[in-house]
Formats: sequence, structure tokens, C-alpha cells
Amino acid sequence: MEVFDNLWLGVQVAFSWQNFFYCLVGVLLGTLIGVLPGIGPVPTIAMLLPITFNLDPIAALIMLSGIYYGSQYGGSTTAILVNLPGEAASVVTVLDGHQMARQGRAGPALAIAAIGSFFAGCVATLVIATAAPPLAEVALKFGPAEYFSLMVLGLVAATVLAHGSLLKAIAMVVLGLLLGLIGTDVNSGVLRFTFEVPDLADGIGFVIVAMGMFGVTEIVANLEQKGEREVFLGKVKHLFPSKEDLKRSWAPILRGTALGSFLGILPGGGALLSSFAAYTVEKKVSKHPEQFGKGAIEGVAGPESANNAGAQTSFIPMLTLGIPGNAVMALMIGALMIQGIAPGPQVMTDKPQLFWGLIASMWLGNAMLVILNLPLIGIWIKLLQVPYRFLFPSILIFMNVGVFSLSNNPWDCLMMTVFGVFGYVCVKLECEPAPLILGFILGPLMEENLRRAMLLSRGDATVFFNPVDKPISFSFLLAALALLAVIALPNIRKKREEVFVEE
Amino acid sequence: MRIRSPRDFWAGVMFIAFGAFFVAWSFTHYAMGSALRMGPGYFPALLGGLLVFLGLLVMAKALALDGPKIAAFHFRPLLLVSLSVVAYGYLMKPGGLAVATIAAVFIGALAGHEFKWKEVAVVALVLVIFSWLVFVRGLTLPFPMCPQFIDNCPIR
Amino acid sequence: MIRLLAAAALIATASSLQAQAWPAKPLRFVVPYPPGGPVDVSARLLAPKLQAALGQPVVVENKPGAGGNLGADVVAKSAPDGYTIGMGAIATHAINPSLMASVPYDPLRDFTHLALVVQVPNVLVVHNDVPAKSVAELVALAKTRPGKLDFASGSTGSTGHLAGELFKQMTGTYMVHIPYKGAAPAVADLLAGRVQLMFDNLASALPRVKAGQVRALAVTTLKRAPALPDLPTLDESGLKGFDMTTWWGVMAPAPLPADITARLNAEVLKAMDEPDVKTRLRAMGMEGSAVRSPAQFSAFVAAEAKLYARLVKASGAKPD
Repeated sequence: MEVFDNLWLGVQVAFSWQNFFYCLVGVLLGTLIGVLPGIGPVPTIAMLLPITFNLDPIAALIMLSGIYYGSQYGGSTTAILVNLPGEAASVVTVLDGHQMARQGRAGPALAIAAIGSFFAGCVATLVIATAAPPLAEVALKFGPAEYFSLMVLGLVAATVLAHGSLLKAIAMVVLGLLLGLIGTDVNSGVLRFTFEVPDLADGIGFVIVAMGMFGVTEIVANLEQKGEREVFLGKVKHLFPSKEDLKRSWAPILRGTALGSFLGILPGGGALLSSFAAYTVEKKVSKHPEQFGKGAIEGVAGPESANNAGAQTSFIPMLTLGIPGNAVMALMIGALMIQGIAPGPQVMTDKPQLFWGLIASMWLGNAMLVILNLPLIGIWIKLLQVPYRFLFPSILIFMNVGVFSLSNNPWDCLMMTVFGVFGYVCVKLECEPAPLILGFILGPLMEENLRRAMLLSRGDATVFFNPVDKPISFSFLLAALALLAVIALPNIRKKREEVFVEE
Repeated sequence: MRIRSPRDFWAGVMFIAFGAFFVAWSFTHYAMGSALRMGPGYFPALLGGLLVFLGLLVMAKALALDGPKIAAFHFRPLLLVSLSVVAYGYLMKPGGLAVATIAAVFIGALAGHEFKWKEVAVVALVLVIFSWLVFVRGLTLPFPMCPQFIDNCPIR
Repeated sequence: MIRLLAAAALIATASSLQAQAWPAKPLRFVVPYPPGGPVDVSARLLAPKLQAALGQPVVVENKPGAGGNLGADVVAKSAPDGYTIGMGAIATHAINPSLMASVPYDPLRDFTHLALVVQVPNVLVVHNDVPAKSVAELVALAKTRPGKLDFASGSTGSTGHLAGELFKQMTGTYMVHIPYKGAAPAVADLLAGRVQLMFDNLASALPRVKAGQVRALAVTTLKRAPALPDLPTLDESGLKGFDMTTWWGVMAPAPLPADITARLNAEVLKAMDEPDVKTRLRAMGMEGSAVRSPAQFSAFVAAEAKLYARLVKASGAKPD
């Protein structure tokens, strides 16, 4: 088969000693910046761009890609260990991963994240190899109307992220949507809710909100416990997942991989949704939804697999259409253009070595990551045994570095504090931050696509639910409605029971 | 009328306050437009209204059903941790990385259960060296190493 | 008067004293955009060359926000001692001052304009299914179907948007502007045919035009683009005098001592002429500029500011 010929070509390219070396450098660096909270792949890749000028384009692309998916691996580590989501995907990992760490099960959590990511990475790589061009066509079918309906589905799903009151979760989603609107309005260019502060003109960074509401709040909440000096009370029982863990995880890994692979190909924010979507699915299909948010391993396995699969397949629109799905992909296009290579449909035919070499290197890089990360788990666990009075100032400093490096602006540190205090108030009022964060991410995207769809249709609202013209949008809205019913029904039943009990 | 669940009651108040603010601000500051051609105020006003409605529901529930009290606020760690983060940000430019890090560590450590001078100093020192090696040298983040008044910083 | 002269002389000697030692410490090179964009990439191409020539580290510092205004303001408010330079672009120095309600700096008086680095034309591209094969046919099409055609742009008030508005004005046609958050999603909808045309910058349009993903109808400059020599200009196609480029260059706070200005101008131009910088910029579809001296650059910025003041007003892009 042709695919195998091509893959063999790719393997030969990826395993040349030079490319092997740059792949290793990429994944090592990616793991490092992934573990450091707040320092994302974007500034790192930007800083490395000048170095890549003098490299062979294949080696450059292999290294930059390694940084990207390596950072996706590393991001889960900080999320699980210290409750710090440095990127959108890890917000979900925090929910159950950190709870597992508190129960002394950081080892299995980290291991299942690594195994799930490896499996997802391998499958997604195969997806790119066999179906990139047709999938890119699918991606182009998603216009403003489709994205809007997808976001609606995502928001309904967001309420599942909370394990407490459904009503408050919905309110937090809406509040997140509103906070996400702060900044310059895309359609009119008007500055909204910026109160004449120029630093707010581009809105509030996601990292700032997430680190404030999870990281800062968590530290304060830990410090207020009077008697308990150590946060990680549970004894570390074992480093690796038990048979039971694996039995519970394999299905979530499969489902997460499938979901992530699909959502990753959508350049307009699909990959962002992948881990959230996977969490929702796992919680809904689980026989023990009450364990979610309290250390369910499925809540780590599914989203982590989805996240890594999405990171991998988000290369598809970049490689086949030349459309970057996120800032990292935009940087890689920049790196390629500097080398005189224009990403687009012709890359596969004109530069087969580049295309297939990159794909083979992804597999190689994922293998390196799993080999690298499994032994590291032992070291990470040791880190948890550091007394908290040493640990929390260090976490504070790392958060600060990450947030300050976003745009070298002390304002960002101030905003992180504001969201830390707000997060603390929310904890006291039992309002959970995860739904707010998803709303915050989706708010601007949703409004943008809603208004754009209305502009394009000249004000005809049927573009969202016309089953003939817009079957994709229609089915998303239908699914959202169904999910809403599924979520609301048990609650209503429970309410009735509660009422009866009271009577 | 008795507040039976203070936690939910105040959560409701918070949602209503936020919602009402966004509605009021949108109406007074931004063009609404129409559903066909939405102005910048349309979407936030809509969402703000929804948030007020949800807040009312939460509040109504708090009046109808019993619920827990609000756990006590601890202002000392909250204040000190916040101060630590803000100090880091605003000391970076004038004081340089070392000053910012040391200040943030000391202020932050005051929020902990025990505060031992020497221990905190060691943690601060280790973090300064680590930051310098990994962030400034390794990842080449453009953080100043010296205070602003030193014209020609010998460390890079 | 005498006192004034004495003060001037004092400043002059002080600055020349300072300049003798210059550069005695690292320079920071402020980029008002996030890392990875074309402005950032060109700054990172220049920085090592300047570092080698000046014998001091040149540290690129990204200061994004408010459409570039935050970073530009940092440069404007820094001491004019030659240790802070920054990229100033068409957005920060020509469009934003007219587009936005308030800009915290004066694009002309607060800056010493050192050297124009890049000028890129925009290209009018259409989806492949659009029947028009030339600008004239497009105009005819727009006239038979008023309000049916959409044009996409990377943001409200971008050159892509303003070029479209100017096009509408000069041809008397009506098309609907669809703003996006950045050029990438706009291009995606163009490829899918949800919008029919776009004024994309040459760097990003070039590979798509060559691959036949979209069809180019014209460039927005008076001269044809060397990268696409067969493509007519809008000026040739009946829109007399249509001339728009996207540009950026190195600037410093004003008033920068004359000797430092001259030195930095010379070093930037020298770096731009180095073959590796040149080929890399060209690979991205970027061309150098005929504007060479600081005085020419200042005059250029002033002219651009005037042009966009007019265009922004005419386009109705200014919010409220």
C-alpha cells in the first residue's frame, strides 16, 4: 500500500541521527516548559525560531512539533501534582487528577495520563497518515453557524464539569461567558468593559484566570487549614496503575482518542473542546458519576487522551490547507515560510520527505515521551513529599514567572491576584471554577461566530437549525438539546424525591 | 422570609450583582443593534439578563431549602498570598528578578503556618538561582537581573 | 533666549557624551505583538545582526496588547538614550490613531523613526468559484448583485478591511465586510467559499495563489509585486491611484541624539542588506523599501497617518 511506502520513507527520515536528535531535544524542552506552569509552547517556539533558521527545514519542524506535543504531555504533570492548569486542556485534568494526588495516587494518575497520551498520539498519527486530505475537507465544512452550534453543545456539556449544584454551574458558565467578552469586540472594534484600562483592551488571558482561580485559590485554601500542615495526606501506595485502574481506563482512553482526533481537525477552536468533551462523555457513561471530581481515574484517562489526540490532529489543517488552528500552528507556518516552504496541499506531493518525516517523528516523539515520563513519575512523587511550607512559595514563584512572561506586564500578576481572590470567594460559596473557565474560553468564540453567521446570512436565523442546508449545525443543536434533557432529568427526579422526603 | 441556605443565598446575590452590572453597563455604554445586526451591547446584555435570572433562581432555592453556612474566611493567607503575587509583578522592573523573587517568597511564606527566617532565606535563594538558570539563561526570558538603577548589569 | 540656547547646548554635549560610550549596556527591542507574527519574526531576524554590530546584547521583548498600542507606548515613554528601540507598524502608527478613541502617544512627535524595514502589498484574492477573472469583471459582478458579495478581513480597521472599503468607494459597489479574529479563520472561510473575496497580505496569499487554492485578481500597490509579476495592479485595472501597503520599521523614543539615530539607521539597513536576512524576508513575501533615511521614514509615517485618517473616516470603521 502506498501509505506504508510513504510511512517507510518517513521513518527513514525521522530516524536519521540528526532528526532523531532534534526530536529528542524538542520533546525534552516541551516536557520542561509543559511542567513549568504558565510558560506555554508559544513563547518557547518563538524564541527558538532564530535557531531554526540555520537548521534543515525537516529538523526544524520536527523539533518545533516535539516542543508542542511535549508541552501537552508536561502540562498534565503540574495539573495533577499542584492543581495548576497551565493550559486549557489541563483544567479538566485538575478536577480528578489532583484529587487522586491528594489521596496518594499521583503515580497512577500520572502514569495513566502518559499511557493514554501515548496511545492517543499513536492513533492520531495514523489518522494523519491515512486520512489527512479528506479530513481537511471536513474541517472546511465548519463555518460560523457550525462553530456556534458546536459551542452551544460544549456549553451544555460544561455544566457536567461541576459535581455540586447544577444551577450554580450554569450560572458560572454564563458568568464565564461574560468575563470572556471583556476586551475589543471583533465585529465593531469597540472596547467593552475595559474601563479605560489599556491593559484590558485584548481581554484577560486564559492562563491568568485559570492560574488565579485554581492555583492561587488552592494555596490560600490549603494554608487556611489550621491543624493540617501537610496537604498530601494519603500515603503513596504505588507508582503505577493497578489492574483495576487499567481495567477502568482502557475504554475512556479509546473514547477520548476518538473524540480528540475528530475535534482536533477543526481549526476554529475544536481542539480546545476535546478534553472538556471527553470528560463530559466519561461522566455521563460512567456507572459511578458521583466519583467524578473526587479522584476518578476515568476523568484523567479520557481527557488526557483526547487532548493529545487533538494536539496531534490539529496539524491536519496546517499541513493540508495552510490554515493554522492555533497560535503554535501559526508559528510553525512562520518557521516554514522563513525556510521558503509554503504549507498547503502541495507539501504532501512536493515535499514528501517533510510531510512523512514529520508524521513518523510524531510517533517517535510520543514513544520518547512515554519512555521519558514513566521513570520521571518517581521523581515527581518525591516532590510531593517536600514539606508544603517549602512547596507553596516555590509554586507561587513559578506561577509568577509564567504569568509575567506572557507579556512582561505586571498588570497580569495583578489580574491573577484578582482572580485568586474571586476564586476564594467562589470556593466559600461553593461555586466551581471549571464551568466558568470553559465559558470564559468559549464566550468570545461563541459571540463571534453567532454574529458572523448572522452577518453572512443577512440576518436569517434559520442558518443554525435548517436541517437541509446546515445538517451539521442542526445535529449539534439537536445533540445539545438531548444532552440538556439527560442532565436535567435526573436532577428533576432527585428534586422530587427531596421534596417528598421533606414532606 | 428566612435565609435557609446562606451559601446559596450569597452565591445568588453575587450572580445577580454581576448580571445586573453587565446589563446596565451594556445599555448605557454600547450600541444594542438588533437580532439581525447585533451591536456590541447585544450579547452581553442578553447574557447579563440570563445571569440575573439564574441568580434569582439560586436565591429562591436558598430561601426554600436548607443548606450549609458559609465557611469562615481567612483573610491572613488570602491577603499575604495576594500581596506576594502583586509584589513580584511590580518589583520586577524596578528591582530586578532577584529582588522580586526574594520579596515574593518572604511575603508569601508569612502566610504559612510556621515562618523560620533561615529556611525561607534558603528557599528564596534557591528559587533565584533556579529562575536565573532556567528562565533567563535557558529559556532567554527578558527578565532584568539587576535593579533599574544599576546601569550596566553584570549578570545576564 | 540665551538661557534656552545654553540649555540646548548642555543637552547637546550631554547627549554626545552619552553617545561616545553608547552602547554601554544591552538594548531592548520591543515588539508590540505576540511572538511569531511577521513583525516579531523580522525583529528576531534583525536582533542578532544588531547585536553583532553593536557589541551589546539586543533582547527582543514582546509587549502585546491593545492592537499594538501598549508596546508602542512603552517605546514612546522610554528614555531616548538609545537603549530602547521597538517595532512600529502601520497599525500602531498610522491606523490606530485614527481608528481608536484615544491612543496614549503621538505617532509622529513621540518617536524617532529609525528605519523602515518591510513593506508588503495586499493582494485581492477571490474564491475559485467566483466567476470574475479580472477586477473589471468583479466590479461588474458586484454591480449586478449588490450586497450579495462578502469580503473577509483579519479585523475591523485592518489594511484588508480598509482596502475593501476603499475599493467599494472607488468602484461605487456595495459588499458586506465580515471581520474575523486574525487572518487565518478569514482564509478558512474564503477557501470554503463562505466569503467570496479578501484583501490578504502578499506573504500569506502567495502560497495559496501559487497552489491554485484561490485566484488573485490584483495587487494593491502602484508597482507590480516582484513575486507575482504577471498580476496587474489595481491602479492598472481602473482604480487610479490605489496604493496600499502593510509596513513596519524600527523606531525609538524621541528625541534620540542624532549620532545614535544615524548609527542605528545604518546598522539596521546594513542588517537588512545581508543576504541571509534578505532571502528569508523575501521567502515570506516581504520586500525591503525605498524609504531609507530616518527623515524619509518620518515623512512616510506622516503621509500614511494622513492617508488612513481619511480612509478610516470614509470607511465608517471607527467605533462610535
